[in-house]
Amino acid sequence: MIKIEKLVKTYGSGELELVVLKSLTFEVKAGEFVAIIGPSGSGKSTLLYQLSLLDEPTSGEVTLDGIRTGELSMQEKTDIRLGKLGYVFQDYALLPELTALENVALPIIMQGHTMQESYVKASLALERIGMVDKKHNVPSQLSGGQQQRVSIARAIAHEPQILFADEPTANLDSANGIRVMEAFRDLHTKSNQTIIMVTHEPEYAAFAGRIITLVDGTIVSDERKKDLP
Amino acid sequence: MRVGFFLASRQLKRSGKGTTILITFIMVLTFLNLVVVSGLLVGLISGSFKQFREAYSGEVLITSADGRDYIENSPALIAFLESHPKVSAISPRYSVGVQMLGSLTDLPGKNEKPNRIGITLTGIDPDREEVITGFSRFLKYGEPLEEGDEGQVLLGANMIKKYSSFADANIPGLSLLEDVDIGNRVRVSFSREGGGVVSKEFIIKGIVKSKVDEISTRAFITDRELKKLLPVNKEQVQAIAVKTDYEYATTLVAETKVFMEGHAARIQTTDEAIPSFLRDIETTFRILGNALSSVALIVASITVFIVIFINAVTKRKFIGIMKGIGISPQAIQFSYIFQALFYGVVGSAIGVILTFGILKPYFDIYPIDFPFSDGILVATAEGAAIRIAILLAVTLIAGYIPAKIIVRRNTLDSILGR
Repeated sequence: MIKIEKLVKTYGSGELELVVLKSLTFEVKAGEFVAIIGPSGSGKSTLLYQLSLLDEPTSGEVTLDGIRTGELSMQEKTDIRLGKLGYVFQDYALLPELTALENVALPIIMQGHTMQESYVKASLALERIGMVDKKHNVPSQLSGGQQQRVSIARAIAHEPQILFADEPTANLDSANGIRVMEAFRDLHTKSNQTIIMVTHEPEYAAFAGRIITLVDGTIVSDERKKDLP
Repeated sequence: MRVGFFLASRQLKRSGKGTTILITFIMVLTFLNLVVVSGLLVGLISGSFKQFREAYSGEVLITSADGRDYIENSPALIAFLESHPKVSAISPRYSVGVQMLGSLTDLPGKNEKPNRIGITLTGIDPDREEVITGFSRFLKYGEPLEEGDEGQVLLGANMIKKYSSFADANIPGLSLLEDVDIGNRVRVSFSREGGGVVSKEFIIKGIVKSKVDEISTRAFITDRELKKLLPVNKEQVQAIAVKTDYEYATTLVAETKVFMEGHAARIQTTDEAIPSFLRDIETTFRILGNALSSVALIVASITVFIVIFINAVTKRKFIGIMKGIGISPQAIQFSYIFQALFYGVVGSAIGVILTFGILKPYFDIYPIDFPFSDGILVATAEGAAIRIAILLAVTLIAGYIPAKIIVRRNTLDSILGR
């Protein structure tokens, strides 16, 4: 489904050049739940940005469904992000002026669906993560955990092929973190959703079926689990 | 565009009300600056045009041709106008240039100027004049002229030192009657055609005053009495004011010119009869008004630019996130353009209501007391529409540019706040 080959990402140049990702190569297949873990500064978020087409690698290739993304224009990448990818950000990133329902409906409206269709799909997505009763609340009326679940609903409402999550539990307490991770697990088990998640907390990584450990921009381990916790 | 509208409507609905009210208020002020300030400037002069029509000329003014003493074929012309279905009233006027002596008993001493002025003596039918101009409203002191009056004169206030606005101006060549007031006698004399002088004494019955010079600088007696004084051409008048529909005036002028074919007369609509220097002042004021409007437009566009820019900068992270989840940059730009247009449309709508619902009627009832006119607010629907279109275009550009600047920034940098 998504494959990276010899992926390198550097910042700066000359003596100040910092190599964040050092020639990474791996593949994620459809239906996998992958956790990328590692200490701060290991390059895990940077890797996620390359995989999710939010950033461009210095060298190497990201191939998505057989499409070599390095050859795509900005507009084509935007279209792919809208059509095939979903995002859950660390700080929820809900638009403050939109209700939960409107936040979730936004990408669906952008896809060209009617407002009514979009709201129906958005309601279904909110229902899947148990937030439909809060659909008319704006983000400021929701707790951190609730906002993150709305953010997940937004990420899955348009039925993306891959769901990316960047430290989705970082701003949550333990109870809310567990609820969010359970939502991911349900998505994976019930809908066979492909998920690539970055986290620095091993207990949350344990929800995934495969754990890639990154240290100093290099993959130090890539383990698959047979059973989910 | 649909997503842009969706985002804009939600942002307007749920963002700070104070900000929305403040920006809308600025747009209202800008609209008023565009329409009302220039409209008042032009209105100072247009007010004088309106007064000239209402106080003197009517919609059509027929006067003696250059170099002629009277309107040729006057009786037939009067009959033509009186029978014209579109003419509601006319006022034929006789005029003659006279010398008016204010002191009948005291002769001037050595090196003293006589208390004498040159003035146009106009003979009017008070009833007809009342229909055309509401002449009695110009009477400031004394009593009005009546049909059967003999030996009675109304004097324009600007020809008497006691009442004139120019008395303290020391204008070279300007003579005013001194020590003259209501009830005093004045002597009028003028040269008779073919030699000799006509002379007659009048009692000042009243003082008339208007911002229209033709009222304030003339003397008025009944037309019947003036006709008696005139030795020849008693039926030939010097001016005819005609009341008709303003829109019909041009057609009536053309018809009258056809009727007067071969007879000398100057036939003009009221707009044509207005002195060209007043037109020049109007043009100057219009240019001034436009210059002020341009400044207002620049201020408004900068205001909208700053507001949208700050709005976009503070939401840079959210703009990045929207781009990240696949919302097109164009949709995000549209959202800011829609917001800018909203401010422009609402500001203009309130401005239109204020202008046409409150300010214009107010200045029609309570005009600005300008020395030579009663200033009104000149604002037309067409003019306002053009200014609204300009305002919206400027607003649109002022909204588009900052949105474009912010939206084009790198998506990831925006998300991470780099």
